[in-house]
Amino acid sequence: MSYKVKIDLFEGPFDLLVYLIETSEMNIYDIQVAAITRQYMDYIQEMQRLDVEVATEFMVLAAVLIEIKSKMLLPRIKPEGVAGGEGDPRDELVERILEYKRFKRAAALLEDRQEAMEAVLEKPKEDLSPYTKEPDEYLNLDIRQFAAAFHLFLHKRKKVEEIRKNYARVERQRMTIEDRIQSILRLFRQKALKKITFRQLVEEEDTRFNRVVTFVSLLEMARQRVIKVKQQETFGEIVIGIGEEAGEKKVHDQ
Amino acid sequence: MTSKKTIKSAFESLMFVWGEPLDVKTAAELFNISNKEAYDYFAELKEEYDREGRGIRIREINKSFQLVTSSENVEYIERLCTPVREKRLSQQALEVLAIVAYRQPVTKGEIEAIRGIRCDRVLEGLMKRDLVQEAGRSSAIGRPILYGTTDAFLKHFGFQNLKELPDIEDIAGVMNLEEPEEGVETGQLTIEF
Repeated sequence: MSYKVKIDLFEGPFDLLVYLIETSEMNIYDIQVAAITRQYMDYIQEMQRLDVEVATEFMVLAAVLIEIKSKMLLPRIKPEGVAGGEGDPRDELVERILEYKRFKRAAALLEDRQEAMEAVLEKPKEDLSPYTKEPDEYLNLDIRQFAAAFHLFLHKRKKVEEIRKNYARVERQRMTIEDRIQSILRLFRQKALKKITFRQLVEEEDTRFNRVVTFVSLLEMARQRVIKVKQQETFGEIVIGIGEEAGEKKVHDQ
Repeated sequence: MTSKKTIKSAFESLMFVWGEPLDVKTAAELFNISNKEAYDYFAELKEEYDREGRGIRIREINKSFQLVTSSENVEYIERLCTPVREKRLSQQALEVLAIVAYRQPVTKGEIEAIRGIRCDRVLEGLMKRDLVQEAGRSSAIGRPILYGTTDAFLKHFGFQNLKELPDIEDIAGVMNLEEPEEGVETGQLTIEF
């Protein structure tokens, strides 16, 4: 039995199974399980051959098919006195296929509706705020209360202005990268050091800002090859060595 | 007491200004009339528009009413301009949506059992498009989330309410769904039943 394989056609294992049953023109109430299982497995192998990732769900249904196939091989024993005995092992599968087809049909119906509804157009809701603008809120105050409030306001403003007249606002000087580079170089020179760890450098820095500036300064110095930086392991100690070309003259202001 | 004629005329204006589906309850409150009365007025208006074959029609979505264009005129509208359209739903999305619509309230597990494949992402997409919403929790083990359809779903597919969903339970219809040229033996079916 030949059949065409279209890889991207199937939405799931049932979709594939229904397709196989229909193309082989089988009666859904009399599925030839052996033939269908073989086709189903061939299809999965084809998918694997084409390197398509086969969803585990396809395997689950394959297992179900094989189980039914093996049950069909066993003689069906009807216990004495029990009418009918065990049902057809295919019954449950048929029920599931019918259920699936029912919803596939519903999906097709919805698709048609969706298309039909494209002919019906609506106006998007417009900005209705011009119609619903809230009226201004009025303060419920008598003139004396209002005058008192205004007076208080003037008084406060006057006080603030008086203070401002006599004082200037000062910002704390923040460390700059240029300054920090100079200070690190000075440190190396003063103590005639060859090596220093990052921990030692930031030991006295109390703020995060200064620690970050120190780190960025080191990056800048490393870029200019003024220093060599080594870190043996992740999160390990960073060792800073002074490079051969060390010297203030090499550090350009950026 | 405002006259019926005035109220109906007012409803027409309200729908025009509102654009979106106008809730019957909201409209009823404006005139201090019962929801039933308001609903009947809207339904009458809708009927009048249909009978006169107007270019504007009234559509009902779950006890809300909205002015829309007549589907017959879409061709002429397209001559004038290109209306912005929502992206159509994929086959997968339609399948999941169909199961939610017919089986609601339904858990993800139940949907997956019918389709035989996972549907997390499809369901997520449907929720994002506001076609599906959470509808409480099942009392089953693990209290899984239940899903149901929204009013936007009704609007998207042009249903007034869920009762309008076409019947899919008749099996003969199911059997005829697939390409008829493939010759599905309906004859054998009559033997079965």
